[in-house]
Parts: sequence; structure tokens; C-alpha cells
Amino acid sequence: MATQPQDIQELMRRREYSAGFITSIESETIAPGLSEDVVRMISARKQEPEWLLDFRLKAYRRWLKMEQPKWAHVHYPQIDYQAISYYSQPKSHKDGPKSLDEVDPKLLETYKKLGIPLKEQEMLAGVAMDVVFDSVSVATTFRKKLGEAGVIFCSISEAVREYPELVRKYMGSVVPFGDNFYAALNSAVFTDGSFVFIPKGVRCPMELSTYFRINERNTGQFERTLIVAEEGAYVSYLEGCTAPQRDENQLHAAVVELVALDDAQIKYSTVQNWYPGDEEGRGGIYNFVTKRADCRGRRSKVSWTQVETGSAITWKYPSCILRGDDSVGEFYSVALTHHRQQADTGTKMIHVGKNTRSTIVSKGISAGHGQQSYRGLVRVLESAENARNHTQCDSLLIGDQCGAHTFPYTEVRNPSARLEHEATTSKIAEDQLYYCRARGISEEEAVSMIVNGFCKEVFKELPMEFAVEAGKLLAVSLEGSVG
Amino acid sequence: MSLAAYTEGFEQFAAGLPAGQRSARREHYERFLKAGFPTPKIEEWHYTDLAPLGERRFSPAAEGGAVPTAALLAGADRLVYVNGKLDQAHSTAAARHGENPLLTDGDSVTALNAAFATGGLSLRLSRNERLPRPLQVLTVGVAGNAPAMVHQRHRIELGENAEATVLFQFLGQGAERLTSHVVEVELAPGARLTLYRVQDEHADATLLTRIDATLRRDSRLETVAVDCGAGLVRHDFNVALAEPGAEVALAGLYQPAPGGHVDNQTRIVHAAPHCRSREQFKGIIDAKAKAIFVGKVIVQPGAQKTDSEQRVANLLLSRKAEVNAKPELEIYADDVKCAHGATVGQLDDKALEYLRSRGIAADAARALLLRAFGAEVLDQLAIPALRDRLAVRMGLAVEDIFEETVGETAE
Repeated sequence: MATQPQDIQELMRRREYSAGFITSIESETIAPGLSEDVVRMISARKQEPEWLLDFRLKAYRRWLKMEQPKWAHVHYPQIDYQAISYYSQPKSHKDGPKSLDEVDPKLLETYKKLGIPLKEQEMLAGVAMDVVFDSVSVATTFRKKLGEAGVIFCSISEAVREYPELVRKYMGSVVPFGDNFYAALNSAVFTDGSFVFIPKGVRCPMELSTYFRINERNTGQFERTLIVAEEGAYVSYLEGCTAPQRDENQLHAAVVELVALDDAQIKYSTVQNWYPGDEEGRGGIYNFVTKRADCRGRRSKVSWTQVETGSAITWKYPSCILRGDDSVGEFYSVALTHHRQQADTGTKMIHVGKNTRSTIVSKGISAGHGQQSYRGLVRVLESAENARNHTQCDSLLIGDQCGAHTFPYTEVRNPSARLEHEATTSKIAEDQLYYCRARGISEEEAVSMIVNGFCKEVFKELPMEFAVEAGKLLAVSLEGSVG
Repeated sequence: MSLAAYTEGFEQFAAGLPAGQRSARREHYERFLKAGFPTPKIEEWHYTDLAPLGERRFSPAAEGGAVPTAALLAGADRLVYVNGKLDQAHSTAAARHGENPLLTDGDSVTALNAAFATGGLSLRLSRNERLPRPLQVLTVGVAGNAPAMVHQRHRIELGENAEATVLFQFLGQGAERLTSHVVEVELAPGARLTLYRVQDEHADATLLTRIDATLRRDSRLETVAVDCGAGLVRHDFNVALAEPGAEVALAGLYQPAPGGHVDNQTRIVHAAPHCRSREQFKGIIDAKAKAIFVGKVIVQPGAQKTDSEQRVANLLLSRKAEVNAKPELEIYADDVKCAHGATVGQLDDKALEYLRSRGIAADAARALLLRAFGAEVLDQLAIPALRDRLAVRMGLAVEDIFEETVGETAE
């Protein structure tokens, strides 16, 4: 702190945390509020080059002129952007709970059901850990192996320092700084995130996961991820984890940019299980994320798979711009809303190149008072000769107080395009339940079984161990939805 | 947007109204003035921009004109309007004409309609009453001295178990025009209404129609809508299934002529349990035409056992053409069966090849497949004379297809 300029010192103050299930944690945070000074301060703290500060300031100035989008089918009180603190010191271990005894027993119970090992439970709950924790060594071994293959996998801040040319070339090239309200906000104040670079012809030797990146733990609410796959490269990237995460932030506005050059493939899997709020809808995360892939190269392919069970409100549309000829975009999604959760999620497939193909499979499950919307856009531009799209979105309703909605946009400008959109909405049939019950399966188990079957098409796209956990997660999230 | 010309027109129009009506009309007009013409910034108008209308000058149509007698249907009762004025000579059901209350409220276009609306069809059937013949409401737009503006209100009220078939037909000839029609429909328990809407507008015309229907217990509304004109056309269809057992079936075929723009918006609200809705829309979009279908089905809380299906299929045949589809579902009840599907594609190459291999010329084979595609909707029009005329107009008549083939081989 001694090295901080005076004005920044002034912006900092001690602030008490009270949110969540963790009591009285103190951390160093700047005073709430957003101004150019705050943006400059974040940039200065991270010792960023001039161009990045410029990028932030441009984004901030654009953001000031933008309005919070209102078109999504979600309701929440107006967010006061001046009440949010935009920079928080990475918390030192001593700020966290001292042991699992200090963690909310409800959360521990969930961990137990998901079968998460004790050590991991500690990490997830933010318990102060010793350096010898397994993952640390795992992470280092990983790094070594990745380095040998030429793969860069580090935090965005580190990448800005170590590989400024790469970051400068690609950052903001998929999601421009003024793309939308939340992306602009993120561009102005993002604090950290991941950077992945797979050089030409390299097949990433392992699945990359934020989970194994220890320094990823507290990236905060404005995360920025950039993944670049050069010609012929392949990478599978996993984001999030299946256990509910301790998080005291209310608003999450992340930006994820993927760039795939000729013949490159990126597989991006997400399991999102932020705190959804309680049964009455108090608390919970607002998850307003901009995710977009640019299939720049010929025959490139990007596949988004997401399992969304957490967050009070989800606003998220992982998209593909199919620019390269013969490029492929895929979107597989399971979204679950229970209690008072609301989700407005889907995808955009923009067909620009010739022979581009896209597949959309969306499964929405709504229970309790949950409100679930699929919002998708398939656009075929005049240049996209022989474009193909197949969209399927199915909704499953559990209980008569929930809602399931579909808003699929189809815009076609080329006569050789073939598009199909199918959607169904149903509830769990009595006869299916009866059949299971007659075979001695409890109602809750039967529901979970049927829901898992409903989601199978998406789960099979997930990496193996993720799929198993996702199944368990659904079961846990659906608890109390029947009977 | 200046809208000054509209205000001028309104003052003129209001001066001619009975004193008691003026303030209500002014309220509607003020509402329109405040909102202005819708722009694509409004979600419901995403694909149709009416803002350019603001700069144009239309005056409430004064003069009438000749009726294209070929459009008159034999075997039907008729109400004929030329530029919004009732044409007594050609109307066999003039008694069905009347002033209607301005009940329907809505966006700025509806407000504009309410401000300027003149009378139209006023059909009231009492319990068990049946219209013996279809009722043709023919509205014709003809060229006058200045760009004309016509706004009409129609109302259909069917008593318990009453039955009627009504055809709204919009024909446009020449000249720049702005026309809006609002149709209010009330169906009492058990009533049956078959409603046809056929549009063949001129390229310089803007036609805005809106049908608002409320269906009571076990009533049924069946509609077939055909669009083949070149104008800027927007149709809003709002149906409320208000009581159990109500049923609605909307069918539509749109084949805008070159340069045409057809925007179909349907909104069906399942407000009661055990209701059923069916939608089937088909589009053939060629040569610089633009077609939009946005369908919304809303299942309100408690509307259990809802059975709803929405199908939209488009054939996109030209590089300059454009098609946009959005079949939406909003569901707030769990014991429902709701499905929707949308497709955009071309004629099946294999089917074309098969027909060619049977000696049918390429053009005829193509026409035949288009006919098959369109027939699914067109054949639901139960007035044969009209159906056949439309098939010819849209190039979907089988006889024509084969005449051409014979001609080709003879050459």
C-alpha cells in the first residue's frame, strides 16, 4: 500500500462485508461509485499500458450514454451503479472463514450431496488454505505441461504484462467495448479473468479449467476471458464448477471472447451455480454476461455448452459469428429455474460465410416460481450461401406457478438457407411418474430421473466428469419441487 | 417527425363531427401525436418502420370512385366501401353498415384510427341467428386528387350459438394511400365465426389492419388470411380465449408481390383452461419482397389443459427477398400442450427432379410444388369463386400451370 499514489489511497477505505453466509469479513475495497477516476485508478493499480487505459475510458464514456436494457423477460429492482465498489483487493487467506465449522451448514449439506471432497469444499467455501493444497501442485504441473505444448494459460492481467501484443490484437475484437450496456461496463472496469492462447496446430493436451487456477478464486464481478485458437488448434475449456460458490457480489457482468482461426476448434463448457437467492427470492446473483465467439477462420468450430442452475437472474446469450466459410457453431444449454429464479438465456447464430452450419439445443426446466425464457436469433446474411440451422428448444414445467417462454428470432436474407425451429412445452407426465413409482422409485428420484433424461442431449456434450456432476446438481436444485 | 399535416387534417375532420364527439376524438388524436408512428425501436414494430409516414401528407379521403365490379362475389351479401365511403349502389347489405363505438385501444396506430375512424360493418346477430350467405365487405381504394387517408372501424357481435361468415377484402388501385381498419369481434357462448381477410394492395399504399376478438365459452373463430399485394401491409391479430372451451384457428398465406412488405403479427391469449388454438402460416417470398411473421401465444396462470400449436413455413425464392419469423410462447401454467415450429427453405430439388423426369417442364414443376405448398392454406377458403380467383392471381392455379406446359411443348 505504501507504493500507492495519494489520491488512490483516498479512494480506498475499510468496508465491512455482511452479505452471504459468511459473517464479518473485512477486506480492502475502494469506495463505492464509478467515475473516470475509478477507471484510471483500476488501470493504474494493475500497471496497465496506455492503450488499455484508453480502451477502458472509451468504454466508460460510451457506457455513460447507454441505458440498462429492459427487453429481457426478467424483473428486478433498478441497480444503483454508484453503490457498487469496482475494485476489491484480492482477499488474503485470513479474511476467509477459518475452517468449515464457520461455513453455512446448508451449503455443506449440498456439498455432501454433490460428493465433493473435503479439501475442495474448503476451497469452494473460501476457507483459508495452506499452500500444500492439492490443487496448487496440480496447477503447477499443469502449467509445466501446457508450457511445453506452447499453450498460454494465465490471468488476463498477467497476459497484458507478458503478451501485450496478443492481448491488444484480440481483446475487444469480438465484443467491442460499446457492444451493450453490461459489456461496456465490463470493458471499463474489468479486474481480471483468463487468457488462453493455443498456437497454430496445437491440440491442447488437457482440458483447461478455471477451477484449477488458484489465482482465479476471486476474480470478482467483472471478469474478462479471452481465448484464441490459431490455425488448426483445439482446446476444451471448462468454466465454473458444480458446487454453489460463496460469493458476496450482487452483480456479475462478465465478458467472454473466443476467436477461432482456420480449422480451429474451441469447446467452451460452463456450469454456473452462483447463489440463487433463498426460497423467497431474497439475495442471489445477477448474472449479466456477454459471451461471443468469432469463427473467423474457414472450417472453424465453436461449441458452447452450458448448464445454468444458479443465479437469481441470468441474462446470457453465448453467440457465434460464423464468418469463415464452412464454419460451425453449436449451442447446448440446460437452464433450470427454481423458487424465484429468473433466466433469460439463449444464443445468436450469425451466418456470414458460405456453407456455415449451426445447431441449437436448449432445454429449460422451470419449477416453483421460476421464470425461464429462451431467446435466440438465427440470422442468415445475403453472403451466407447454403447456411443450415436446426433449433430445438424444449421446456419442462414443474408446478403451476412457474413460467416457460420462448422468443426465437429468425431472419433470413439468402434463398439457399435451410432453417428449422422446433419447440415443445410439457410437464412431467403422470404415467411416467406412475411407472417409476410402481417400480419402487420415490417420487423425488423419479422426477430427477425424468429431468435427467430430458437433459441428456445436452449432458452428453459435457466432458465426462462434468456431466455426472451436472446430473447430481440438477437433482439437488430440484429438491422440494414436488410433493 | 413533424406530423403537422396530420394535425391539419384532424382539425378539418373534427370540425365536421357532431360537437359531442369532438373531445373524445381529440383525446385519441393527442395520444397518437404523443407517440407518433411506430419505429423499429419498438419491439412489436421491429421489422416494419412506419416513421416515414410522418413526413407524408394525407388528407381524409373525400371523393369516391368506380367499383371494380369483377371483385363482387356472386352468392354473397355485400357491403362496398370506396375510399371509406359506403357505395349504396353495390351494397346489398347496406343495413349492416353503421357507426361503431371506439372500444379497442392500443398502440399509436390504433389511436390514429380511433381519431379519424368512420363507420363500417356493424354486424349484430342475436341468439341462434345465422347469416344465410357469406358477407363480403369490400373496401376499395382509388386514386383521387391528393394522397388519401381512410380509417374505418368494424364490429361483429355474435349472440349465443349464432353463426356467420364474413370476408374482408382490401383492394387498392393506384396512388399513395394510408388505410387502417380495426375490427372488433365478440363471440358469445357457442357462437361460430368464419372470417376471411384478403388483401391485394397497390405498391404505393400502406394498409394497417387489426382484428381484436374475444371468445366466450365454446365459441369458435376460424380465419383464413391471404396476402398478395405489393403495398406496405401490417396485420395485427389479437385473440383472447376468455372462457373454457373456446377455440381459434388462424391460417394465413402470404405471397407479397415484388416490392411488397407483409407483416403478420398474431397474439393469442389463453386466459381460461381447456381452450385450443391453432396457427398455420405459410409464406412464398420472391423478388424483392419482405415477409414477417411474429406469433405470440400467452398461456395465463390457471389456463390448464391449454392445447396450442403454431406452425410457420416459408419458401424463400430470391436473393433480394427477406423473411423474418418469430413464433413466441409465454407460458405460466404447467399442464399444457404447446408446440411451435418455424422453417425457412426452398423447393425440394428431389421433388422438382421427379416431376421433370415425368415430362413436366421446369417452370410448371416449380409452379406445381408452389401450388401444393400454398394449397394447404388456400383450400381452407370455403368460397370457391374467391379461392379460384386468388389461385390465378398468385400463379397457383393448376389449370394455368398445365396450359403453360402445353404451350411450351407446342413451341
